[in-house]
Amino acid sequence: MQEYALFLGCMIPMKLPQIDAAARAAFTGLGVKVEDVEDFSCCLEPWNFKGTDLAAWLKVAGRNLAVAEARGIDILTLCNGCSATLIEAAHLMRDGRAEAEEARKVLSKAGYKDDNKAKASHAVTFLSREVGKEKVEKSCKRRLSGLKVAVHYGCHLLRPSDVMELDDPFQPSFLDELVREAGAEPVECRGTMSCCGSAVLERGVSQAIAEEKLKAVEEAEVHCVVVICLACLGQFDLGQVELGRKAKKEARRKPIPVIHYFQLLVMTQGAEVKKLGFNRYKVKVDDLLKAVVA
Amino acid sequence: MAKVNLDFAKGLPRVEEAETVIACFQCSACVAECPAAAHPPRFNPRDIVLKVLLGLEEELLRKDSVVWDCATCYTCMERCPQGVRPIEVITALKNLLAARGMLPPEAAAAENIRRTDRVIVHSEAVDRHRKELGLPHLSAEGKRIEEVMGCRNTPSSWDA
Repeated sequence: MQEYALFLGCMIPMKLPQIDAAARAAFTGLGVKVEDVEDFSCCLEPWNFKGTDLAAWLKVAGRNLAVAEARGIDILTLCNGCSATLIEAAHLMRDGRAEAEEARKVLSKAGYKDDNKAKASHAVTFLSREVGKEKVEKSCKRRLSGLKVAVHYGCHLLRPSDVMELDDPFQPSFLDELVREAGAEPVECRGTMSCCGSAVLERGVSQAIAEEKLKAVEEAEVHCVVVICLACLGQFDLGQVELGRKAKKEARRKPIPVIHYFQLLVMTQGAEVKKLGFNRYKVKVDDLLKAVVA
Repeated sequence: MAKVNLDFAKGLPRVEEAETVIACFQCSACVAECPAAAHPPRFNPRDIVLKVLLGLEEELLRKDSVVWDCATCYTCMERCPQGVRPIEVITALKNLLAARGMLPPEAAAAENIRRTDRVIVHSEAVDRHRKELGLPHLSAEGKRIEEVMGCRNTPSSWDA
């Protein structure tokens, strides 16, 4: 059976191990074999690190790709940021720019061979394109009782669309389909494709963008938001706590749980939810779990 | 009067077609759906591209530069009818700011990685949480990327 290198980055294994646990359990449920690769480093996020040192960003991404290539395996990630960095850097490394040439030279000198043979994909893309609807649905043993979900794609898995080549950059459907396959109901939500605002360094602007989105989610009357990116997750989960602190008591909203797609999938697959670390989020997930696991 | 650098656009580091700015006809398609443009102080990708074209270097390359308010959502480049990639112009400007030592502290924080291979610092709590969830132990902080990362890169074309 083909194996894949599980690329966790640093946010997931260190701050959000509940997503690590959910993904591993879901892969087992689907019969997908993943391998831990000690030699991987952090991805280097594609928003501000690419902006502060493009050459270093290319070198680190190129190194991680070379590590997978040496093992002859492809990479699966759990976050838009890691996916965007690995996919975009693989593209930029081959367009002849000075920074890419320098990165290739440094990598080769350090003994890393990057011939563009290892491909990186977000694990949700992999489910949608490789594993397929039938297998995902078949792995789901539990029936969810009318779980309504706001699907948040984030930006970096779809755009720049000429590099990511995944789905329509403004009207994608693959994640809605995966949510449906996992037994939940994706609900149309104003501004589905709007950005979470995480990369904006001016905190007031960043929070205002997140607040816009959370308002839309509230109007859609969903049980939770499903994300596939750690930046989006923090922006909406911790972000709700920060916004709640800032707001006057009467203006505070009912918190809406934010979970990663693999946590939804693993719940439907029948995992024992108590063991999946849902209590680690800022916004409590208990009501959601009661609704689902009834 | 504002100082004008006529070679500013030409001198931008070649970060993903940053040189396409020349095709901009200032239609504002990039502003319409820009998430950061919707909130004060109203970040504006069209205006940034205009300043690059006019050579208004000092207005963009300063400690409190507006470029850090970009959400990096790529909507501007997807919507541009002229094939301009304002986000990559902004990325090029950020690289220039970093090379000139004008990084805001929030962006500089990402530099942890140079020392530890990771942006997040490893702690006993991390090990405990992973153990509780039955996850494999994380390897200690390495020096794996130090040899390839090197010091801050400043190609001669970026020099101030």
